[in-house]
Amino acid sequence: MKIITAVVKPHRLDEIKEALQAFGVHGLTVTEASGYGRQRGHTEVYRGAEYTVDLVPKIRIEVLTEDADADELIEVIVKAARTGKIGDGKVWSLPVDTAVRVRTGERGPDAL
Amino acid sequence: MTESVDAQDSSYAAARLRLLNQEAQSGPPRRAALATLTDQWLASLATEAAEATGTGGYALLAVGGYGRGELSPRSDLDLVLLHEPDGAKSIAALADRIWYPVWDLGLALDHSVRTPAEARKTAADDLKVQLGLLDARHIAGDPALTSALRSAVLADWRNQAPKRLPALHEMCQERAERQGELSYLLEPDLKEARGGLRDATALRAVAASWLADAPREGLEEARTRLLDARDALHLVTGRATDRLALQEQDAVAAALGLLDADTLLRQVYEAARRISYASDVTWREVERVLRSRESRPRRRGLLGRAAPRAFGGGPATPTEQERVPLADGVVELEGEAVLALSARPERDPVLPLRAAAAAAEAGLPLSIHAVRKLAAAARPLPVPWPAEAREQLVTLLGAGESTVPVWEALEAEGLITRLIPDWERVRCRPQRNAVHRFTVDRHLVEAAVQAAGLTRRVGRPDLLLTAALLHDIGKGWPGDHSEAGEVIARDVAARIGFGRADVETLAVLVRHHLLLIDTATRRDLDDPETVRMVAETVRDTSTLELLAALTEADALATGPAAWSTWRASLLEDLVTRVAGALDTGALPDSGDRAPTAEEERLAIEAARTGGPVLTLHAETEAEAEGEAQDEALGVELLLAVPDKPGLVAQAAGVLALHRLTVRAADLRSFDPIGEGPVALLSWRVSAEYGALPEAARLRTDLARAFDGTLDIESRLAERESAYPRRRGITPPPPRVTIAPGTSQTATVLEVRAHDAPGLLHRIGLALAAAAVTVRSARISTLGANAVDAFYVVGKDGNPLPESRAREVAKQVEAALR
Repeated sequence: MKIITAVVKPHRLDEIKEALQAFGVHGLTVTEASGYGRQRGHTEVYRGAEYTVDLVPKIRIEVLTEDADADELIEVIVKAARTGKIGDGKVWSLPVDTAVRVRTGERGPDAL
Repeated sequence: MTESVDAQDSSYAAARLRLLNQEAQSGPPRRAALATLTDQWLASLATEAAEATGTGGYALLAVGGYGRGELSPRSDLDLVLLHEPDGAKSIAALADRIWYPVWDLGLALDHSVRTPAEARKTAADDLKVQLGLLDARHIAGDPALTSALRSAVLADWRNQAPKRLPALHEMCQERAERQGELSYLLEPDLKEARGGLRDATALRAVAASWLADAPREGLEEARTRLLDARDALHLVTGRATDRLALQEQDAVAAALGLLDADTLLRQVYEAARRISYASDVTWREVERVLRSRESRPRRRGLLGRAAPRAFGGGPATPTEQERVPLADGVVELEGEAVLALSARPERDPVLPLRAAAAAAEAGLPLSIHAVRKLAAAARPLPVPWPAEAREQLVTLLGAGESTVPVWEALEAEGLITRLIPDWERVRCRPQRNAVHRFTVDRHLVEAAVQAAGLTRRVGRPDLLLTAALLHDIGKGWPGDHSEAGEVIARDVAARIGFGRADVETLAVLVRHHLLLIDTATRRDLDDPETVRMVAETVRDTSTLELLAALTEADALATGPAAWSTWRASLLEDLVTRVAGALDTGALPDSGDRAPTAEEERLAIEAARTGGPVLTLHAETEAEAEGEAQDEALGVELLLAVPDKPGLVAQAAGVLALHRLTVRAADLRSFDPIGEGPVALLSWRVSAEYGALPEAARLRTDLARAFDGTLDIESRLAERESAYPRRRGITPPPPRVTIAPGTSQTATVLEVRAHDAPGLLHRIGLALAAAAVTVRSARISTLGANAVDAFYVVGKDGNPLPESRAREVAKQVEAALR
C-alpha cells in the first residue's frame, strides 16, 4: 500500500475530486494548509514597496491506495491539478505498513 | 433464600423490559411506572436484606430524578442508604445485599451510605448532593428517618439560600459556558446544556428555597418534552447518553412519533427556550432579592429606622432614587432595563425597539415585566417604519454580545415576529449542515453580533448589521436560500424603512452573501475572469467592503470550521484584487452644492451681523402619517456663522450641552456678500430624552460659545460627572482613514466611531488641534455608529500631502480613544 499526498492550489480541489472519483477512488482526506515551494511565495508591490507573501494557502489531499495503482493515481492528480502557472504544487507517495478500517477491523488492502 | 431473591431480580428485569418495550406507554406515565416497579423491587430487596442481617434503624432513599419518580430507561439509580449512628456494624452487609443485585442486572448505580448527620454535612459541602437530597423519597426502612432528613435538608437549604443560591447560579453558568445552549445547538445535550434538564432542576431548587419562583407558564410541559426526548434517546441508543447526536435524531423522532428530525429539534428548542428564559428571569429575581436583603440592614443603620420607608407618599423611596435614565421612556432599575414611569407603550410604537436598544447598549437585561407590558400594550409600527424605529433596530443589532439576551427576551414574548413577520420561518429552524452549530435564527443574531465588531471596516454599518440579520432569511423556503432570501430581504428592508438605494444594496448583499467565500476558496484568483465576474456583481467598493465584512461575520457566526486564517487569507486576496478592478467612486463633495434660498438668507444675515443665525424646524414625520404625537421625532437646525477655526467643536459642544444627539449634519462654507466666508451647518438632531430645545437659549449659548465666553469643556465635564453614564458595552475602537482620491480640492478624513454625547465636539477639537481647516463635512449617525467625512485643507488652503494626512488621521484617532 502507498499513501499519496498532494499539496495543490485550493481551487483545483473540485477537479481533483472528480478525476479521482472517475478513477475509482472513493475516500480521501483534505486539509487546509499553507506553505511555499520553489517560488518562495509571491512577490507583490504595495505603495511602492516590494514585499513577499511567504505562506500561500494550499490544500493537502491524502489518498491511500494499493501499490499497483499508485503511479497512475499520481498522474491523475497531477493532470487535474495543473494550471501551468507557478505554485501549482507537488505530489508524492510513501509506502504504508498497515491500514485498518475502524468499524470492521479489516486490515491491509481490504481496509482501503 | 438466595434463590427467591434471584427469582425476584429476574422477574424485575423481565417486567422492566416489558415496560420499556411496551409501545402503548411512554412519557410521564412510563417514567412513573418504571420508578414504581423499581421501588417495589428495591423495597423487597431491602426488607429481606434487613431481616437476613438483623439490621434495624435504616432507610433506603431515592434521590435526584429517581427521587422525583422520573426514571428514564437508562437513568442511574440514585440511592442513599441512611442508618442510625449506632447501626454501623451490620449496615455494610445490608448495603451489599442491595447494591450487588443492582449491579448484577447491569444497572448504573449511584450510591452512598450515611447517617443523617453525615448526609446533612455532605449536602452542606456539595451542592450536587444537596440538590439530590431536596428530591429525596422514601423507599424502604424506617419512614421516620427519611422524613426527619427531608425536613432537616429543606430547612438547611432555606436557611443557607443566600449563600448557596449564588453558588448554584455560578455552577449553572459554568455549565452553560461549557455545554452551550440547548435552544440553538444542532447536537445538543438534553441534560447539561443551558435550558436543559439540569437547569429545570435548579429552578425547582430555587423554588424550594422560598426565595424566588420561576415564571411557570409552560415550564412543566417543556421539562416533560425534554424528558420524553431523553427516554427515546436512551431506548434508541441503548446507552445512558443525553447528547442528541445528528445520527440519532431521525430514530429518536420516529420513536416519539414525530414527522422528522427537524420537528423533534424544533420541539426541543422551544422547550429549552422556555426553560432558559425562566432561568434568566428567576436568577435575576434571586439576585434582586438577595441584594435588597443585603442593603436593608445597612440602610436601617444609616437612617436610624427599623424598616425601609413605606410605599407611596413622602419623599422619594430609595428605589426611585436608583432609577437611572437610559433613553426616552427607559430607565435602569436594580440592574435591569425597565420602562420609565412616564413611558406610554400604548402611544409610543417605537418604545419596544428603543427599550431593547437602550438595554443592549447599556449591557443590561430587559426586565420581563417591561417586555410583557410592551407585548401587551405596544401598537404595531406603521409601515414603512419611522426613521427612529429603524435606527433603534440598528443600535440593538450593533451592541455586540449584549444583543443576544435582549433579543431572546423580545423573542420569548413574540415581539420579534410582530416586528418582522418573516422571522417566523427561521425561528427554531435546525440546519442539516456539519459546519453550522446554531439554529438559523440564532445564527442570524450571532452574525449581527460578529458584524458589530466589524463596523469600523465599512462606510455603512447600518447596512452591514441589517444584512447580517437577514442574510439567511431565505432558509426554509424551497430552492436556493440566497435567491429566496433576496426577495424577502427586499420586503423586510422596505418595511423597516430603508430608501430605495439601500434596499438594492441589501438585496445584493443577501443574494451574494456566499459569493466571496465560494469564489475565494474554489476559483482561480489569478484568472482575471474570476476577478471581473466578482467586480461586475458587487459593482462598487462600498458594497465590496460590506460584502467582505458580511462574509467574515457570517463565517464567524457559523462555527469554528467555517473561519480560519487560511480562509481569511484567500478572502483578503480576492477582495484586494476585486477592489483594484473597481472604480473607487468619488464621494460627492457637499461643498459643491448650491445653497437654498433659506440658507442664503441666513448666510447673508450672519455675514452682516457677524454672529450666529439659526432656524429650527420640528420634523413632522408622524403628523404626516396622521397620528397623534406629542413629541417631535427630530429637529432640523440650520445655523449660519462667520467661518473660523474650531467652529465644528464649538457648535457640536453646545448641542451636546443641550442634550441634543446629532443624527446627521452637513457643513459647507461660502462667501455670500464678499465679506469673508460663512459656515453653513444644517443639522438633524434628536433630543436624548424627548424634550425639545428652546431656540432662544440655543442661540444665546451658541453666541457665547463662538465669542469664547462659554466654557464648553468644563460644562460638559461637569455634566458627565453629575450623570455618569453606564459603562455598558465595549464597542470596537474608533478608526480614522483617508478616503483615497475622492476630492481634488480637499483631503477627505473618514471618522468611524461609536456614537456618544459630545463625540462630534471631540472630533472638532482634535481637527482644530491638528491645525487643519474643515471646508465641509457630512456627518451621519447610523444606529449607534457615527460615520463622518471631513473635507479638510491645510493652512495654504490645499489638500494635505499624503504623509501629513496620515499623521492627522492618527492624531484624531488617538484623541478619540
